[in-house]
Amino acid sequence: MKIKDKIYNLITYIASSMGIIVLIAILLFIFNKGFNKLSLQMIFGKYWAVNYISVEPIKSGNFELTNEIDGIYSKNWGIALKDGDSKNITITFIHKDSPFNNLIVKDGSINLQKGYTIEKIDLGELSVGKIVGNNAQDVISTIDNYQTIQSVYFKSQSGGIFGGVIATFYLILISLSIVLPIGISSSIYLKEYEKNKKFKAILQYGIDTLTGIPSLVYGLVGVTVLFPITQLVNINSTSILLGGLTMSIILLPTIIKATNDALDNVPDSLRQGSLSLGATNFQTIYKVVLPCCINGILTGVLLSIGRVIGESAALIYTMGTFVNDAPKISSSGSSLAVMIYSFMVQENPNMELASAVSIIILIIVMILNVILRVFGKKFERKLV
Amino acid sequence: MKLALSVKDLNLYYGNKQALKNIEMDIYSNKVTAFIGPSGCGKSTFLRCLNRMNDLIDNCRVNGNVFLDDVNVYSGKMDVVNLRSRVGMVFQKPNPFPMSIYENVAYGPKCQGVKDKKILDKIVEESLKNAALWDDIKDRLNDDALGLSGGQQQRLCIARAIAMEPEVILMDEPTSALDPISTKKIEDLIDKLKEKYTIIIVTHSMQQAKRISDYTAFFLMGEVIEFDTTSNIFQNPKDKRTEDYITGRFG
Amino acid sequence: MNTLNKNKLIDSIARYIFMAMTIISSSFTIILFAFLFVKGIKPFLPNYEYGMINFFEFLFGMVYRQDKGIYGIGFIIINTIITGFLSLIISLPISVLTSLFIVKIVPKKFGVMMRYVVDILSGVPSVVYGVFASGLITLMVKNIGYFFGIPTAGGNSMLSVIILLAIMIFPTITSMSITAITAVDKNLEMASLALGATKTQTNFKVVLLAAKSGIFSGAILGLGRAYGEATAVSMVAGNKLYGPTFNLFDITRTLTSTMLSGLKETSGVDYDIRFSIGLILLIVIFGSNIILNVAKRRIGK
Repeated sequence: MKIKDKIYNLITYIASSMGIIVLIAILLFIFNKGFNKLSLQMIFGKYWAVNYISVEPIKSGNFELTNEIDGIYSKNWGIALKDGDSKNITITFIHKDSPFNNLIVKDGSINLQKGYTIEKIDLGELSVGKIVGNNAQDVISTIDNYQTIQSVYFKSQSGGIFGGVIATFYLILISLSIVLPIGISSSIYLKEYEKNKKFKAILQYGIDTLTGIPSLVYGLVGVTVLFPITQLVNINSTSILLGGLTMSIILLPTIIKATNDALDNVPDSLRQGSLSLGATNFQTIYKVVLPCCINGILTGVLLSIGRVIGESAALIYTMGTFVNDAPKISSSGSSLAVMIYSFMVQENPNMELASAVSIIILIIVMILNVILRVFGKKFERKLV
Repeated sequence: MKLALSVKDLNLYYGNKQALKNIEMDIYSNKVTAFIGPSGCGKSTFLRCLNRMNDLIDNCRVNGNVFLDDVNVYSGKMDVVNLRSRVGMVFQKPNPFPMSIYENVAYGPKCQGVKDKKILDKIVEESLKNAALWDDIKDRLNDDALGLSGGQQQRLCIARAIAMEPEVILMDEPTSALDPISTKKIEDLIDKLKEKYTIIIVTHSMQQAKRISDYTAFFLMGEVIEFDTTSNIFQNPKDKRTEDYITGRFG
Repeated sequence: MNTLNKNKLIDSIARYIFMAMTIISSSFTIILFAFLFVKGIKPFLPNYEYGMINFFEFLFGMVYRQDKGIYGIGFIIINTIITGFLSLIISLPISVLTSLFIVKIVPKKFGVMMRYVVDILSGVPSVVYGVFASGLITLMVKNIGYFFGIPTAGGNSMLSVIILLAIMIFPTITSMSITAITAVDKNLEMASLALGATKTQTNFKVVLLAAKSGIFSGAILGLGRAYGEATAVSMVAGNKLYGPTFNLFDITRTLTSTMLSGLKETSGVDYDIRFSIGLILLIVIFGSNIILNVAKRRIGK
């Protein structure tokens, strides 16, 4: 008998360890793949490289260095280069007096920066660089023999995700500002006003059904039902506004449920106390009941933020998968989660960058979880 | 003597179940009227008819008349919000709002549209003084009301009710959740308040009814068995059931 | 206007605004179904601008070639149902045992930590699961395939989809089961213990039985999630052109992965057909909900 019990218990131990193992596996995998890519430059940088060609020649000088640096250094030009991914020639160091620090380009001057890549250097009689088929060593040893560089063709650093950060932020802002008034009003109506049980059940059923619909279907509906709404403000393609509108429908059940739980927690004695003082129903709700629900509604807001950050399927249809470095509410753009999707389904999947973005999202999700726990505890204590 | 409320042939039903039967009662101004009876006898339900708090309960149906200044409370002429600002209520468990002491007392007047800070200050001070709470808390009006002791909270709820300058104050077992010392304070307060207000109190304690009330109504199974001056009810009850109850044979 | 009337006016205006908001929220479902239906049946109507598609060939066809204009989703429906169901079969026992462990067996502190694990897993976005699946699960499946001498398309396979979905619906079913098990009447357990049953026997025989209705609801919800899951699945499904797929190591195609393929289209049959597939997806989800709910009621009796 006892052995049998032990076996049963052991099975539950094994089953529950699986959840932990999966979580650890996900974290290990994502961190392993993406951690090296993670940097401030990546978070705040642009995804697409910008091409520059300098238009005025520069002269060499003498830029002796005493300390060791990464890459191959040219002391005549004060610049160090290294071979990077996909045959890129990446700048790893620029001496503070180097002529490369002040390149004249079409619309002004620009400083070359660490991480930029050299495409081509025009030396007058010949050219060197990535597009001519050289590596970093070739470039340095060739330019060291010349006193003048006619022009430099270079690219700014790419692979940043700041556009996604902005798009995600806009999405959260739009969807919450739409869903909060609608959602809170709905739960107030259902809980505090509607007394007809049948009508209430029908309304509640309609709202509950929203939970069971996959987000991909919301995306489809977004482009048909909500698209005309964005057309009213002259947006005729997929846009962040359309994505936000779609998200606000997806979030409705979450906000309604959170508010409803909070309303349930407000003791009836407070409502009666207020009504007995000659307050109207609306005054009671607005002055007494709602202030008690703030924590509960905040819980819903946090859950919603998590949902917006993680949502991809509904947004792929409504916002497009194009990575936009400077997204506007009226333009298409991709949130962080959609970016991950784009990186994974493009011709050469970029799992490292996708994992790096995943790390950011996972960290936000965990922080939200912790905040929710703290809120949850406060919430319980206050209303018991 | 002036009549504050006059109840004529009042019946109340929960669904199909009749909870109050043919209640007739005249309540005099500036007197304390107590309702006694075993639990479930309908005394609290009846109290809630007087300011229509029963409207909030689904499937609760009232027919009959309650006259306040010759206007039927249950007629279309009487607005329920207006009624409740004239007939205040204090509940069994203290239920201060989760806001400051000041805001609690100013709540009712503010809902009626009083905005002038000076007037509100005066109302709050007067009400708290009348509720014998002013000296305890005058230095911490902006503290959270939930930080007060149970007895203080109940007196705050009384202050909140009298801030509306009601004609009648209904009290639904206001001391049942309190300790004896707080109870004593509330009872003293009731004695003082009747100079200005008509008070109707539901109580579970016959001793309390004896101590504080001028009139007493004895309820049983949804009916008023006997309604008379308190001394008559307790010293020579006319009905056998009243006698049985006050002598402790049941209840 | 006096204050009383003003307040009453505000009160009734507020009431109507709240009511309007509620009706809007609640009618989204109907609007959604209606639009999807109107858009979804368009390709099957005789006056369809790009040439009518035969509805029966669409519903029962076993080949899906957009390039050749063949749209048969019969095998895709079968694939979706099989993958969803198999993932549920894997996930359900693990979820139920985990929730029993969390609520009844483990010390409270560790239980709180385990709940946290479940919460985080449910908060992990579907794309992140997708990255994980296309990096690690596919690798695992590929190696298992090698071991048995079965070739796989780089690990993209039905098995990968099933494992992925099993992981993704685990938190859903677990949290529903936790709620159900927590709600079991303590007196029932006491009765069982008083009859001389051990704690473990009580847990497995009485508690689980008493919580079965809630657990079943969790399973229904989980299955719906599995059918509707899109981005992650599309990363590992492989999108086979014909089927149905019964070989675990072969690539597959689900309704959602089909809806996400050919994304660049903004008009034409390939665009419109997505709405038809979306409609079918909803029918599959709500259909299986209804069937399982009927089954639940039968078993419950």
